[in-house]
Amino acid sequence: MVQAVLKVTSSLDSQRHTRMEVLKEKVEEEEAAEREEAAERAERGEKTKRPMEVRREETTLTQEMLRDLERKLSEIEVSVPEKLLTFTKDTIDTSKLPLSYQSNTLKEEHLLQVADNFSCQYSHLCPDRVPLFLHPLNECEVPKFVSTTIRPTLMPYPELYNWDTCAQFVSDFLSMVPLPDPLKPPLYLYSSTTVLKYQKGNCFDFSTLLCSMLIGAGYDAYCVNGYGLQDLCHMDLTREVCPLTLKPKETVKEEEKAPPKKYAIKPPRDLTSRFEQEQEAKRQEAIKAEEENRRKQEEARLLEQENAKTDPLHGLRVHSWVLVLSGKREVPESFFIDPFTAHSYSTQDDHFLGIESLWNHKNYWVNMQDCWNCCKELVFDLGDPVRWEYLLVGTDKPFLSLTEEEDEGMNDDDDVEKLGKEDEDKSFDMPPSWVEPIEISPEAFETRCPNGKKVIQYKRAKLEKWAPYLNNNGLVCRLTTYEDLECTKTLEVKEWYQHREDMLELKHINKITGLNADYFKPGHPQALRMHSYKSMQPEMDRVMEFYETARLDGLIKREETPKTMTEYYQGRPDFLSYRHVNFGPRVKKLALNSAESNPRPMVKITERFFRNPAKPADEDVAERVFLIAEERIQLRYHCRSDHITANKREFLRRMEVDSKGNKIIMTADMCISFEVEPMEHTKKLLYQYEAMMKLKNEEKLSRHQAWESELEVLEILKLREEEEEAHTLTISIYDTKRNEKSKEYREAMERVLHEEHRRQVEAQLDYLAPFLAQLPPGEKLTRWQAVRLKDECLNDFKQRLIDKANLIQARFEKETQELQKKQQWYQENQVTLTPEDEDLYLSYCSQAMFRIRILEQRLSRHKELAPLKYLALEEKLYKDPRLVELLKVFV
Amino acid sequence: MNRLYDMEPRVMDDEMLKLAVGKQGPREEAGQLAKQEGILFKDVLSLQLDFQNILRIDNLWQFESLRKLQLDNNIIEKIEGLENLTHLVWLDLSFNNIEAIEGLDTLVNLEDLSLFNNRISKIDSLDALVKLQVLSLGNNHIGNMMNIIYLRRFKALRTLSLSGNPVAENEDYKMFICAYLPDLVYLDFQRLDDHMKELAEMKHQYSIDELKHRENLMQAQLEDEQARREELEEHKVAFVEQLNGTFLFDSMYAEDVEGRKLSNLPGVGELLETYKDKFVIICLNIFEYGLKQQEKRKAELETFMECVQEAIQENQEQGKLKIAKFEEKHLLSLNAIREESELSNIETKIVEHSEDITALLNVLMTLEMQLVEQLEETINMFERNIIDLVGLFVENVQSLMAQCRDLENHHHEKLLEIAINILEKIVKGEMDEDLPDDLRSLFIDKDTIVNAVGASHDIHLLKIDNREDELVTRVNSWCTHLLDKIHKDEIMRNRKRVKEINQYIDHVQSELDSLEYGDLLD
Repeated sequence: MVQAVLKVTSSLDSQRHTRMEVLKEKVEEEEAAEREEAAERAERGEKTKRPMEVRREETTLTQEMLRDLERKLSEIEVSVPEKLLTFTKDTIDTSKLPLSYQSNTLKEEHLLQVADNFSCQYSHLCPDRVPLFLHPLNECEVPKFVSTTIRPTLMPYPELYNWDTCAQFVSDFLSMVPLPDPLKPPLYLYSSTTVLKYQKGNCFDFSTLLCSMLIGAGYDAYCVNGYGLQDLCHMDLTREVCPLTLKPKETVKEEEKAPPKKYAIKPPRDLTSRFEQEQEAKRQEAIKAEEENRRKQEEARLLEQENAKTDPLHGLRVHSWVLVLSGKREVPESFFIDPFTAHSYSTQDDHFLGIESLWNHKNYWVNMQDCWNCCKELVFDLGDPVRWEYLLVGTDKPFLSLTEEEDEGMNDDDDVEKLGKEDEDKSFDMPPSWVEPIEISPEAFETRCPNGKKVIQYKRAKLEKWAPYLNNNGLVCRLTTYEDLECTKTLEVKEWYQHREDMLELKHINKITGLNADYFKPGHPQALRMHSYKSMQPEMDRVMEFYETARLDGLIKREETPKTMTEYYQGRPDFLSYRHVNFGPRVKKLALNSAESNPRPMVKITERFFRNPAKPADEDVAERVFLIAEERIQLRYHCRSDHITANKREFLRRMEVDSKGNKIIMTADMCISFEVEPMEHTKKLLYQYEAMMKLKNEEKLSRHQAWESELEVLEILKLREEEEEAHTLTISIYDTKRNEKSKEYREAMERVLHEEHRRQVEAQLDYLAPFLAQLPPGEKLTRWQAVRLKDECLNDFKQRLIDKANLIQARFEKETQELQKKQQWYQENQVTLTPEDEDLYLSYCSQAMFRIRILEQRLSRHKELAPLKYLALEEKLYKDPRLVELLKVFV
Repeated sequence: MNRLYDMEPRVMDDEMLKLAVGKQGPREEAGQLAKQEGILFKDVLSLQLDFQNILRIDNLWQFESLRKLQLDNNIIEKIEGLENLTHLVWLDLSFNNIEAIEGLDTLVNLEDLSLFNNRISKIDSLDALVKLQVLSLGNNHIGNMMNIIYLRRFKALRTLSLSGNPVAENEDYKMFICAYLPDLVYLDFQRLDDHMKELAEMKHQYSIDELKHRENLMQAQLEDEQARREELEEHKVAFVEQLNGTFLFDSMYAEDVEGRKLSNLPGVGELLETYKDKFVIICLNIFEYGLKQQEKRKAELETFMECVQEAIQENQEQGKLKIAKFEEKHLLSLNAIREESELSNIETKIVEHSEDITALLNVLMTLEMQLVEQLEETINMFERNIIDLVGLFVENVQSLMAQCRDLENHHHEKLLEIAINILEKIVKGEMDEDLPDDLRSLFIDKDTIVNAVGASHDIHLLKIDNREDELVTRVNSWCTHLLDKIHKDEIMRNRKRVKEINQYIDHVQSELDSLEYGDLLD
């Protein structure tokens, strides 16, 4: 059979043979002879990933037998996966799938033959390698070549234009099903449309879908069949650190030191002992080294713990992922994408242990390089036939980077060969994909995960995702971090929200400290940016941050403790930057006015100000402290640019009455001031008196503002509670599905349209049609016929009206009779009736009465309308275009 | 308008002013305080002296910070004695007998001036009042429309009253003012509407355009002059003013009678031309070199100043930090002492705190001394550099000037040669051309002509020497002045800082002391 196939694709074949031989010659530098060739193969086999004992002395027969055995074994194993695969086998309705799914075209058949041939040669040349993954069965049990399963599609969503979002979508959208046999590629490879429909798939389904989307978006992407780590194959992220918990690295900007200027002063002489410094430095270093050592040991221990269980099947687990080559879409470097997790890895990553083959929608390449060191030394130059054996000749991967010297050796032969090849290129290329275009509905796109929910377990963390609007409180994502590897002790919970009317974006709950922090987007009615608290009770520890530009008072932050309140401001016309209020214990009040608010007395108010450029520095207050309880006011002024000390002033207003009982207005010791440059006018009592009066007013104002701040806190807390309670979501007016108003409007419009349509249909009903049908067709109506037609039509209508009236009458009578009967029955059996029966009877009565009334109404209405309807029809008949000419006389 | 002298004119004496100040001072509690303390005239902001029959404004020199002064309804005849009131914003002189506007040249801050009901016939002498917004000149004797054009220079003027003047009887009065004072908003207490303004503008367009043109020309001329003056100033700073042309050369011949006569000799004309060209080129060299050197000196000075400022700033920051730290501690220990009840503890605490204060004093002083040392070093370095720079400049200029002198000597020799040749020709009677009489008079004998040429040469050399000396002395004096100033500033700074530190320490100490006494009293 092999021979037959060989004949079919002889030309391709011989070519390949010769080329392979040439290559081998080059590698081994030996003459081409059957036996040696076998030896070379063996040698090569040893180099490939899994060296196998192949003895060149062994006869081909035993090899054949071995292969047979292998095949049989694999066939035995097949039954096992089929049971595992049942999750879709039963549910997939293959009958509705298009024809291309259920059969192969001629070209596809041809391709399959080519592939078979290729496979045969491959297994012949590399007997120690596993058979290639070339044409698995699709959902209709039809073998399809893997490349034709890739259906390049550009998605209509701008979010899916880049590889990262694309990969994230695929990993979210599909739920992962493990391979039936973790050591072999699957027997079935479904179309992406089916996979999308059921939102389930194994790694091959994942990578095929992702590859289709990436190629559609213009990337140079390939599906890879290879070997991966256990975690990778099982989508096990429990040993990965969650990317969301990683803190972004702070970029430390080193400030560029300006070159010392010509007249820069010399630093003062350093008089400390250098020896002592050195000793100190040595000691510090020793301590540091010790710490480092301890830390390293600890780390090593942890690592050991984590990696305690090793995989017995390491290096044998089959996995499929996506390779993106550099070049297209400005990809600077080739990289892998794991379709399960949507993570990108460099091509040197440890997770990937080897590559068997890779393919895109145009061709199929087999890896001929050695994978002893995982994928670290692989060269992804698909044009290099030594490293990558291709299935079809001359698709768009030319010999990418053949170096000159390689070229020189075989230039002459090559030219001739190429000529031949080119002819064949045209004769055969990859048939178009049999898969229907990939479509994702907007609903599905928005819902993303199957049922809109997805849970990922990371190392010491759990990530849950929901589709927007799925949770009625707007929750879209929750990250729970744990203290231990077993995930039993919760450290903290982060919840992300979307579309909240209160603009809540993130809720951060620290389970250890009990601290909650809510973060808001701009647009909260109170301009809240962040609210961190332990309890929602007022007068407790809390911090509120605000969007200061949205607030009239320029408040940035308000911190509260049970006894204090601190506020930070910016951009105020009075240059206030800081206010700190100390509260004293609440004074107990009489029960009488308990209903009134009882604010805590303020003990001390400290206010700080920015520099007011309009005033000279030594008249510009920097800080003022109102010691309310002690009736003292302390002022500190800004420091002048050429001074190091600042003016200070303290007002005492305790003694109001002197020894004789006279009122003292102002005395010199009521104002203690320190002035850096003594000024004359400030010594005056009048000046001091006026300043004090002003300060007293300002104190009142500050107290009032502090009180207002307290009120505002209460208000915000109340508002927050209400918002938490209501958790209403905003719906964009463009979101026609969710926006109730627009939905109603649209439905109303549809209804109107529908009715309009019905009316039109009604109007088109031809009342003359049954009568016209009686007349011989095609003839013109005579006048007599027309009159008769009209009369008949009217009579008929009259009859109908009468019939209808009779019908209603009959129903009416029937109902009344039944009711009477029932009443009679009731009166007779009234005594023996159970309460249930009575109830039944009563409800029947009321229903019957209702029906009778309705019938009565209908009858009377019919009686009213019938003559009118009759006249209307008559009128209409007179105006009918078919009769109008003939009936004119009568009008 | 004349009010009769029905009352005795009064003199503005101290008593009157005190009374007025006292009456118009603060009220109630503040008033009591003010009475207790007395009010200084220089603190008064506003003063009202109406209906006082004042004849002469006097005794107001003490009111330095006065903002508002009302002298209406008096019999003042002359505006005087207001020179010191430079902060005045509002001045009311209405209902007086003033005949001319004068004595307002120092009141640059004046915004509101009322001269209502006086005998003024001409608007002038208001040039200094650049901020004038309101001008009231009603009920006066102003008769000439042209007075209004004078008001065009007050860009801020918004309100004007001129009713009751002969001008106002002119039928075109309103239109004229509208047209010539387009920024005016109120005239005679009425708002000028836009329509009116448009009409007026159309009516007087031609004359206004002409006026504007003239004003613009004037403005341009002024600006030109300003620019020229600035340029000259710049050159003067570089000590090479008027070396960028033929000025020096021309000045050499300005006082040189013989030289001018001799230039009429045949052949001397060309000689003079080449000499002049060469001379001017050297002058230009000096000029450019001077400007370049000036740039260098400026840059040097700037970097020096910058560095010194930075050093001082840094030192101040350190000082501030120390003081802030101390202040925290200070407050705490003061409170602690206050609350302590046991006497022995109080004493130890007080002692401890005074030690802290001394430590602060030491730290601050050390910082200051450190800065002084550092700055001294830097200043010395700068001094050396700037002296070197100036020396180099002087040296180079002198060498260039020497070139000028060489040229002059060369020219002198040539001239002498020509003169002697001509003398010989004249003596031999071979002279064809006619020489002017005054020139011929020089060619009497050899001595005379040699003396004449020599005198001319001497004058030229003198001029060159003078210019050189001027430059050198000026640049040297600039240098010494600059260095003096830097040294002086540094000394002042140091003294100020030391004083500041001492003051602060005294204050802190006194706080502690007062606490001690208070405790002792308790």
